[in-house]
Amino acid sequence: MALTPKDLLAFYRTMVTIRTFETKAAELFAAGKLPGFVHLYIGEEAAATGVCANLTDADYITSTHRGHGHLIAKGGRVDLMMAELYGKATGYCKGKGGSMHIADVDLGILGANGIVGAGQPIAVGAAFACKYRGNGTVAVCFFGDGAANRGTFHEALNLASIWKLPVVFICENNMYGISNCQRDHMNIVDIADRAAAYGIPGATVDGNDVVAVYEAAAEAVRRARGGDGPSLIECKTWRWRGHFEGDPGAYKNPDEQKAWLAKDPIPRLAQKLIDLGHATAADLAAIDDEVKAQVAAAVDFAEQSPDPDPADVLTDVYAS
Amino acid sequence: MATVGIIANPASGKDIRRLVAYGTVFDNQEKVNIVRRILLGLAAAGVSRVLYMPDYYGIVPRAVEGLSSRDRPPLDLAAADIRLTATQDDSMHAAAAMVEAGARCLVTLGGDGTSRMVAKGCGDVPVLALSTGTNNVFPVMLEGTAAGLAAGVVACGAAGGPDVVRRAKKLTILKNGRPADTALIDAVVLEDSFVGSRAIWDVGQLRQIVLTRGEPHNIGISAIGGQLAPVGPFEPRGLAVACGAPVAAVLAPIAPGVVVPVTYEHYREIAPGEEVPVARTPCILALDGEREVEVRAGEQVSIRLDLDGPAVVDHKAALAAAAASGYFRLPPPAAQNPGRKP
Amino acid sequence: MKKMTYAEAIRDGLRVEMQRDPSVYLCGEDVGKFGGCFGVTAGLVDEFPGRVLDTPITETAIIGSAVGAAAAGLRPVAEIMFVDFTGVCMDELFNQASKMRYMFGGKAKVPMVLRTICGGGLGAAAQHSQCMEAWFAHIPGIKTVLPATPADAKGLMAAAIRDDNPVVYIEHKQLLGLSGDVPAGEYLVPLGQADIKRAGGDVTIVTWSWMVHRALAAAEALAREGIAAEIIDLRSVVPLDKETILKSVAKTNKLVIVHEAVKTGGFGGEVAAVVAEEGFDLLDTPIKRVTAPDTPVPFSAVLEKAYLPSEGKIIQAVKELF
Ligand SMILES: Cc1ncc(C[n+]2csc(CCOP(=O)(O)OP(=O)(O)O)c2C)c(N)n1
Ligand SMILES: [Mg+2]
Repeated sequence: MALTPKDLLAFYRTMVTIRTFETKAAELFAAGKLPGFVHLYIGEEAAATGVCANLTDADYITSTHRGHGHLIAKGGRVDLMMAELYGKATGYCKGKGGSMHIADVDLGILGANGIVGAGQPIAVGAAFACKYRGNGTVAVCFFGDGAANRGTFHEALNLASIWKLPVVFICENNMYGISNCQRDHMNIVDIADRAAAYGIPGATVDGNDVVAVYEAAAEAVRRARGGDGPSLIECKTWRWRGHFEGDPGAYKNPDEQKAWLAKDPIPRLAQKLIDLGHATAADLAAIDDEVKAQVAAAVDFAEQSPDPDPADVLTDVYAS
Repeated sequence: MATVGIIANPASGKDIRRLVAYGTVFDNQEKVNIVRRILLGLAAAGVSRVLYMPDYYGIVPRAVEGLSSRDRPPLDLAAADIRLTATQDDSMHAAAAMVEAGARCLVTLGGDGTSRMVAKGCGDVPVLALSTGTNNVFPVMLEGTAAGLAAGVVACGAAGGPDVVRRAKKLTILKNGRPADTALIDAVVLEDSFVGSRAIWDVGQLRQIVLTRGEPHNIGISAIGGQLAPVGPFEPRGLAVACGAPVAAVLAPIAPGVVVPVTYEHYREIAPGEEVPVARTPCILALDGEREVEVRAGEQVSIRLDLDGPAVVDHKAALAAAAASGYFRLPPPAAQNPGRKP
Repeated sequence: MKKMTYAEAIRDGLRVEMQRDPSVYLCGEDVGKFGGCFGVTAGLVDEFPGRVLDTPITETAIIGSAVGAAAAGLRPVAEIMFVDFTGVCMDELFNQASKMRYMFGGKAKVPMVLRTICGGGLGAAAQHSQCMEAWFAHIPGIKTVLPATPADAKGLMAAAIRDDNPVVYIEHKQLLGLSGDVPAGEYLVPLGQADIKRAGGDVTIVTWSWMVHRALAAAEALAREGIAAEIIDLRSVVPLDKETILKSVAKTNKLVIVHEAVKTGGFGGEVAAVVAEEGFDLLDTPIKRVTAPDTPVPFSAVLEKAYLPSEGKIIQAVKELF
């Protein structure tokens, strides 16, 4: 459980990478360079970071339409991601998927997903494969508060529970499904309460505190690896931006938005690192600069990459 | 006009101790149910006004809404005048606002953490703390109707005095000589850097423990004291345990379902007013079971045992006193005004 | 007549019907205060208090509850944000809404509208760009309409709401901003009536939804080369207006079918089969289909452009018949 300074600095770097990548994506979208829908995760970085720090490349995740953070935290490469956002041939999905469908199966990333709630049973299936093979790997399912109302939530948690599967359900409760705030879409406040209905443990943590998320996920992953079955962790957090780029988010209460901006997970960790003497402000600034350069290089890579060959529309439909 | 305050913590019973231990799951709907019973008990005891802590779930308004119209008591209900922060501070502010507004008894729903926050705001007004949390040494497991009746008789002046209301102890955390925080049961020095998910379950991090009380039947860090040298809730002394070198060990239930060996160096009784210095910084202080205070390198921190903790209601004594005075006796059925309370 | 966009025309159709019939209500994700993901229902929540309901993300219950409410006498217009999400509520549609009347021996009716939107061209990728009308057409008991113009959007909405059967009403993302003349007040376009959007004697092009406009553009170009194409906008795929199709083919003796959905199992196959069965002798040449290939919708603009049926592909298909 004791986190080393190295761990904490890695958390910092991951969160900054997500933030920088997405801030750049917002800019590029506004400049008309990215087609389609882009859903940003800014403000929620601690959740993906704290969870994925407990996983190896052999573990699986299922992600969502708001997936960039999960992918980066699971080890996804920002250059291949950026190229995919551009729809280039060099992108993760050869330009066929885009932001909402990025996947890297070699890293256990079973895809972002355009269908809300679709990842829940898929994660259950991946967890079944983990258990079936008996190699101690686990699956983690990321999903939102809105997705917790899909029927798939019920079916997935129930099946995972009766089969005692090594899966961790991570509900990123950012309190909105598009414009619909949690108050209006469910009659409870703590989604973790639902775990009891499936006979599995559930806990609520501060999703903007990377250490809190890490600790909870560590325990849930330990249970899963040890054959103790699924858990549900609810990370309370907040999406800073609109639902998708272009949505001004007029339905959000500005006071609430302000209060959540003040809970920004990145400066919170930065201050701790400095207080604990694990890093100086200059050390952190150096990480920021490295990440910035890495993201800038990713943009260059994407821009210089070729478009897919139109003939490739027809490839990859079936495995041969 | 007898007024009672209700502080129901919507966040209690949810934290990571459902994962790292086997903590009770308390969903808010059950808290709503308990509050319904409390309200009915309060009204039956003659309370006319109830102030409640507003919360993001709306536990008390939902409780009222869900009462069948047949049972809805004629209570004057109002939210305490606080600015909601959705943090534990709400409990403290609500307690203070209720005292200010004339509440004569506070009923709380939560665990030790909630009670600790209420104690910071309740002044001399007696508290009846019900357990809906995780580590529950301070609050009691009590059926809501009985709790409502007990708080009601205290608020209405039908029960009181030193047998019914007693002062609990507390620990004052002094940072650089100034009071910075309070604990009701235990203050624990942890070799850790993060408040993180708040709970404590890794006994390897324990460095020092200071207790107001500790009995063998307790759950939580106070159970360690309960095994070594029990101290009752109202005995004028406390206990300090140093966990530095592993000189000896004891088995104790430090969290629900977590009965583990705890090593320690020595322990000793402490006297009221005595300050136990925190030996090494930086560290984290856990108060009443939750990592709470970050202590930076070089800060001077000590923990003092005080006898002027919150006033607590002994519900059995309260109800016994009311019964003995005939408080709930009614006029003979013939003369009875239908539906009237005493 | 009033100039309005396709989106405004849908809203106007909803508004007029809601004013007319208090049993009509709207429900779906973000249809209320957000005004719908594409702004189609903007403002209706204020105009009709209590009759525009925001739901959780719960497609199964959105359509299932519409079935129940319709069976119990209301006229729900239930929105599924993208046609791609109808997979989630397919049972409610194909085993419940569609079969209730028949299974109950004609004693029930399910007057509901499933409002949704289809189509590509926005870079929205494989799960937000599809055209699924053939699915619905394959379910007896359901009607399926796909307006291509603002006036049709309004008239078909009104007819769909007044119909006593479940109607799947499929909008198209590319058409929302399209402007046109729309009759004011009550206006109905009967279900099952195709519309000849351009008359011509040399070739019949049967199409619907967004592709009507690509076919019209192709017809314009073909006219310059001396080929007069007749553009039939089906408007409803079920009920299918066979008469208009056969009459046209009788005149032109040539048939090209254009749709945005994938080819295999696409509704174009049904149109072709009808003409082959009932108008084989009218044909001088083989029937041609211009459709998307049998692949998911790709994300990249370059790939999506290659994927979608274009004016050029339509022109080429027509020319191959001459
Ligand atoms: C089955 C399905 N229904 C609706 C949508 C449209 N949609 C996309 S994201 C979203 C909101 C999801 O909310 P939540 O699960 O809380 O995730 P968040 O966007 O807040 O991260 C909706 C309704 C969809 N993609 N899939
Ligand atoms: Mg959400």
